[in-house]
Amino acid sequence: MDNLDAARLQMAFTLMFHIVFACIGMVMPFFMIIAHRKWLKTRNPIYLKLTKSWQKGVAIFFVTGAVSGTALSFELGLLWPEFMKHAGPIIGMPFSLEGAAFFVEAIALGFYLYGWDKISEKFHWFTGIIVGVSGVASGILVVSANGWMNAPSGFDYANGVFSNIDPVKALLNPAWFTQALHMTLAAFTATGFAVAGIHAFQILKNRQVELHKKAFKIAITFAAIAAILQPLSGDLSAKDIAKRQPVKLAAMEAHYDTTKGAPLYIGGIVDDETQNVSYKIKIPKALSFLAFGDFNAEVKGLNDFPEDVHPNVPIVHYAFQIMVGIGTLLMIVGILFFISLKRKSWWQNNKFWLLFIVLAPMGFIALEAGWVVTEVGRQPWIIHNIMRTKDAVTPMPGMVFSFYMYVILYSILAIAVTWLMARQIKSLNNSKIA
Amino acid sequence: MIYVVLSFLMISLLLYVLLAGADFGAGIIELFSSRKGRDTTKKTIYRVIGPVWEANHIWIIIIVVILWVGFPEFYNVITVYLHIPLTLVLLGITLRGVSFVFRHYDAFKDKSQILYDWMFRLSSLITPIFLGMTFGSMISGEIILNPDETDTFYSIFIGPWLNWFSIFVGLFFASLCTFLASVLLIGESNKNEHQRYVLKARIANITVIVMGFLVLAFGYFNNLKFITNFIKSPYAIVLVGLSALLIFPLTHSIKKATRIKSRFLAGVQVVLILLAAIITHYPNLLITSDGTVNLVETASTPKVIQVLGISLIVGGAVILPGLFHLMKSFKMIKILEKL
Ligand code: HDD
Ligand code: HEM
Ligand code: HEM
Repeated sequence: MDNLDAARLQMAFTLMFHIVFACIGMVMPFFMIIAHRKWLKTRNPIYLKLTKSWQKGVAIFFVTGAVSGTALSFELGLLWPEFMKHAGPIIGMPFSLEGAAFFVEAIALGFYLYGWDKISEKFHWFTGIIVGVSGVASGILVVSANGWMNAPSGFDYANGVFSNIDPVKALLNPAWFTQALHMTLAAFTATGFAVAGIHAFQILKNRQVELHKKAFKIAITFAAIAAILQPLSGDLSAKDIAKRQPVKLAAMEAHYDTTKGAPLYIGGIVDDETQNVSYKIKIPKALSFLAFGDFNAEVKGLNDFPEDVHPNVPIVHYAFQIMVGIGTLLMIVGILFFISLKRKSWWQNNKFWLLFIVLAPMGFIALEAGWVVTEVGRQPWIIHNIMRTKDAVTPMPGMVFSFYMYVILYSILAIAVTWLMARQIKSLNNSKIA
Repeated sequence: MIYVVLSFLMISLLLYVLLAGADFGAGIIELFSSRKGRDTTKKTIYRVIGPVWEANHIWIIIIVVILWVGFPEFYNVITVYLHIPLTLVLLGITLRGVSFVFRHYDAFKDKSQILYDWMFRLSSLITPIFLGMTFGSMISGEIILNPDETDTFYSIFIGPWLNWFSIFVGLFFASLCTFLASVLLIGESNKNEHQRYVLKARIANITVIVMGFLVLAFGYFNNLKFITNFIKSPYAIVLVGLSALLIFPLTHSIKKATRIKSRFLAGVQVVLILLAAIITHYPNLLITSDGTVNLVETASTPKVIQVLGISLIVGGAVILPGLFHLMKSFKMIKILEKL
């Protein structure tokens, strides 16, 4: 493995780790405050118990998210010093605001976790809302920094020099809105289905059914709404990409030759050498329509671009198929859930719960796949059309060791956190409700 | 505007050293306590530091963000040449953070606690040492800015931080943290445990002085530019002198157990020492083998600095009152009780 590959893998690995914790840290507080609100309203002790156990989850995930995030903020510089030297001042604005949002979140969390019976009930509940809102705000801000890498703006560039820097324009780059919207929905979908799946499992096992049903309902309501909106927002993203990053779009669709009325390929095995996609399902003219809203529009193929700006086509294509496949599935299940509210008999059926157990990891798989589309699809650029990834990497040799260290460390952490969560649920089931 | 940014940078650095320092130090005290002492220390740490623990550590993120936005060239040099110690600091921060949460939030209290405890204590010691070594390397003059063929991996990426001077600075910083923590804990312990922390505070204080002396002496005899500047600077001498004088009222107030005064004095003492270092430092925050990196000259363009400054002011206006309120609500700053 050469240095560049090791650095790329390390970045990918640590980001894919962080994003799971970040999403949960971003979304769980919302579940928590809903449960908390219901406790304040109904004084049903089940809700208090649920709130308190979710709050422990939030604390554990928040810290794991925070330390992996701290590592990331160093890592951007440690791995890509050339990138940060030029990009730092330009995209510093979202990052400094993000710093502020994190701070607010940490302060509010301090109040929330330690404030039971110490501060007024209303204010205590309100600090929970602040935790949630500032979490989402920080998520949106980081994604906007990522949007800038896809759609660089807010500076002039000539002969390797960045001048005329306008941080506000960089923050509000052309990609920020579609990406932030899609990402926020994704966080709710992924976390919601995961949490709902865990509680569905407990219901299937007949443990504390009343409590877990309440928990399930809170989580899945958020998830279902987000999952239904997700494909709409994904369509917006795709239309955006078609204009801004046609190479990425072509790679996502494994679309090699420029055509009018381009067909959409679903699935299929890509052979990059022969530029052939076998075993696919072909929907005529659908790609032109999806990308431009016109069945006969011309869609640029990969062959229109020089070979050295092609990303890895198979990876991007497969990842995109995974995301869209799961997205469609989750949308359908989201609709089914709302139907189930009218048909209570479904809730007695084990198959209903089994469905949600199987779906538990799907949201996160789609989310990681989506990031692979965005990030691998941007290659070979670290800043689209401006700076190549290979020119940004650290000159320090031996990055492989650093990569292995992170793999070991984070794998252990992932196992530890999973184990802790299992114990959390176990103790929830063992204890009696007051 | 650049001075607004620089002040935020300095304040964040001071707060990080004081707050996170005390926090690291608490772990170090736990490490160097008897078995029974460890248990009480663990409980006290949780009670005192728990609510603000997260907020304490965000200062370093603020520092990093200010550096990369406002002073990209400076940040670039550190991240390239001090890659290894910074990675080790991160490793320490990660292990420490998770073990702190694991040991307090695990649903069952069983044997696994032993593992979390040791992880917490050891990383509490290692992190400030490497952090201090990183600070030391920035001024040791060992970083080679423009390496040529004769330089090896060792001389470029390891030599700059793995040297006696940096190690002394690392140990100095760790003992400083311990000192801060012991003063903090004195105020929080009951009569019986009192004596224990008073003793710890003394030992830590002596270690700080010995280590500080070692750093100065070593730098002086090896003719390190930073140290010779330091010794020649009248400001630095006055500040260090003042902080040395504070030892007397401090010892007295520790004995008397007036916790507000002790904390205040200890804090002031550390701030004075840091200010002395910063003043000698400024504006050449990096001293390398082939020159210095001037913080002001390598700053970003005025427009960027302006936006950064405004973000910091707005952010500060939102955050500081909240933080203050948090510390007050949970009785972190005892001085506030009187207000
Ligand atoms: C739960 C997760 C999830 C689900 C169900 C979907 N997505 Fe997605 N998608 C993401 C999670 C995600 C993501 C991980 O959040 C990405 C990566 C970057 C971003 O902003 O969002 C993303 C990126 C992303 C992009 C690339 C944006 C870019 O590179 O700037 C497109 C075109 C789509 N998505 C389209 C879709 C469509 C048409 C879906 C229809 C079903 C869909 N996504 C479902
Ligand atoms: C799409 C990608 C990302 C999203 C949505 C995201 C979101 C979040 C969220 C919500 C948190 C709060 C932690 C929690 O509540 O558990 C967090 C923590 C953090 N993230 Fe990320 N993040 C992303 C990528 C990054 C990147 C690339 C960086 C590095 C520059 C980063 C730096 C941080 C830092 C420093 C923290 C810790 C802040 C604290 O102590 O509270 N994040 N992230
Ligand atoms: C948290 C969700 C994210 C995931 C899962 C993710 C995933 C990835 C992957 C897979 C790569 C490797 C691409 C390759 O080299 O082929 C990568 C690279 C990178 N990402 Fe992301 N990314 C995320 C968010 C972000 C954000 C929010 C930022 C910045 C603000 C960011 C900055 C980078 C940088 C600087 C690189 C390295 C340069 C490059 O390979 O282009 N990422 N990421």
